[in-house]
Amino acid sequence: MFVELDAPAPVAVRAVPPPSRSARLRRAGRSLVPYLYLAPGLVLLGIWVYRPLVQTGQLSFFSWNLLPTTPMVPVGFENYERLFTLPEFGTSIWRTVVLVLGLLPFTVVVPVAVGLLARRVRGRAAVIYQALVFAPLLIAPVAGAAVWQWLLDPRSGAINQVLGTTTNWLQEPGPAQLAIIVITGWHVLGFAVLVVAAGLAGISDDYAGAAALDGATPGQVTRWITLPLLSPTLVFLVLMTVLLSAQWSFPLIDTLTNGGPAGATTNVYYLLWDYGFHSFDAGLGAAAGVIFFAGFGVIAAALVALSDRVTFHDN
Amino acid sequence: MAVIAGRAAALERAAPADEPVGTHSRTRAVVGHLALGTLGVLCAFPIYWLYATSLRAPQDIYSLAPLPWPLSAQSYVDAFRVLDVGGLLLNTTVMAVLIALGQLLTGLLAAYAFAAWEFRGKSLLYLAFVATWLVPFQVTMLPNYVLLSQLGVLNTIAGVVLPSLCTALGVILLRQHVQAFPTELLEAARLDGRGSWSTLWTVVVPNLRPALAALGILLFVNAWNEYFWPALVLQRSNAVLQLGLRSFMGTEGNDWGPMMATAGMACLPVLVLYLVLQRQIVNGFVRSGLK
Repeated sequence: MFVELDAPAPVAVRAVPPPSRSARLRRAGRSLVPYLYLAPGLVLLGIWVYRPLVQTGQLSFFSWNLLPTTPMVPVGFENYERLFTLPEFGTSIWRTVVLVLGLLPFTVVVPVAVGLLARRVRGRAAVIYQALVFAPLLIAPVAGAAVWQWLLDPRSGAINQVLGTTTNWLQEPGPAQLAIIVITGWHVLGFAVLVVAAGLAGISDDYAGAAALDGATPGQVTRWITLPLLSPTLVFLVLMTVLLSAQWSFPLIDTLTNGGPAGATTNVYYLLWDYGFHSFDAGLGAAAGVIFFAGFGVIAAALVALSDRVTFHDN
Repeated sequence: MAVIAGRAAALERAAPADEPVGTHSRTRAVVGHLALGTLGVLCAFPIYWLYATSLRAPQDIYSLAPLPWPLSAQSYVDAFRVLDVGGLLLNTTVMAVLIALGQLLTGLLAAYAFAAWEFRGKSLLYLAFVATWLVPFQVTMLPNYVLLSQLGVLNTIAGVVLPSLCTALGVILLRQHVQAFPTELLEAARLDGRGSWSTLWTVVVPNLRPALAALGILLFVNAWNEYFWPALVLQRSNAVLQLGLRSFMGTEGNDWGPMMATAGMACLPVLVLYLVLQRQIVNGFVRSGLK
């Protein structure tokens, strides 16, 4: 490790640098150094994120079936027009909204309720609880899907046997959407619980103590002190849920329901996958991708702007 | 790390002495234990059921008995017969290690540049890294798929690794660490006549070893559990565990025992890592967000 490797530019300090051409070159070389360190990452992201992003934009104006042998035909805005006439486009957005709303209890409500109830639980017990709650996040999504398929099996699954029902959870529209929400929620709950716990631990006890001295009840302290101080954490969790729900649930949908039954679990990202790799309609998929990307961008910007107004910071 | 560490310290500092002692606080403690405990059991139950089912004898698969007894390894034997589990494990490990190392290296180099130099376009370039976090895979997948097929790496591990060699996550997290690094040390190394490259490897990296290890584990777990790219690139070969497991699913009349055994093996390396390094993994995930 102590071998001197060829540095991109010499950094030896001279007492009086001669104002020669080589020195100027060297200085120019030295200012290049940080860019050289950035280059590998930038090149990779350029190739695998920015180039395809631009190409998706271009592709949305063409008709193409993904085969190298067939030519791409320019069609103007036809893909976009087609997209807005397809009923599944609107329903996939609606289903994504349902998914996000269905996940908020798992990513915000339950973690905050449990976090508040369990503020005083510390030590070894807390570590064990944390380990249990967090474990599902580390389960590979496909393995999670496998065990839930087994638990939800209509004839011999544990859930139907315990409940005494015969629901075919993954083959009926309503239950299938519910199942996808619950399984996705199970995966991410532990993360939210720990984020809330970290947020609560960062709130100084002094405020609650002062309020209690003034005669505030524990409920009032929670409502008027703890929750406002926790608001940045809550906004972060809501933002994550809105932006990433459709991505979190993707592996589960792809392995458990394939977007079905009758499209009942097809959210926006699954629709993209469907257009691209099931109907091989690259142009339509690209157009949908552009719309969803722009839509999520606007929502994210709006949420961030909103959060600056509603959050309360402890300075 | 600083944020969480600070909060963890706050957790330990808050002395129980300033709490009202009595039945009220005891009730609250019991309620807290009950709430967290119930949640913990609910969360862990499916994982327990996975391993319990995989260890039942074939004729007991449908049993609801909480303990799998008598134990049987038959499901694992069957899984090994149907799938080349050894090969899948090897492929998945190679893939996850390469991705984690790649992301660690590109992230380290970029973070070093951002932390150690002032240069033109710095904040814009940092934004260029961070913004990629917002681009969903599904939006870029078509052009990337076409490029991979032009490169001739579809259905190979290389096809999965290449697009994943750099992420915003690695850069963001490592930047925090390198920035927290004392500038005096960097300055001293420079006065010693060390080049920036040798400073990076002989001064920065040895001191950041714990942070690099924690981030490396996080990236490894992420890569191990990755589903989207392998599903897209390895459509015909099913060469990693996640996809091998998927080949068990979806058909009527699933073979639950071997399926649970395969799922169990797909999760085991990560769960073992978790048991050994719980705190680092949890901190890593909480700090990094989820993607």
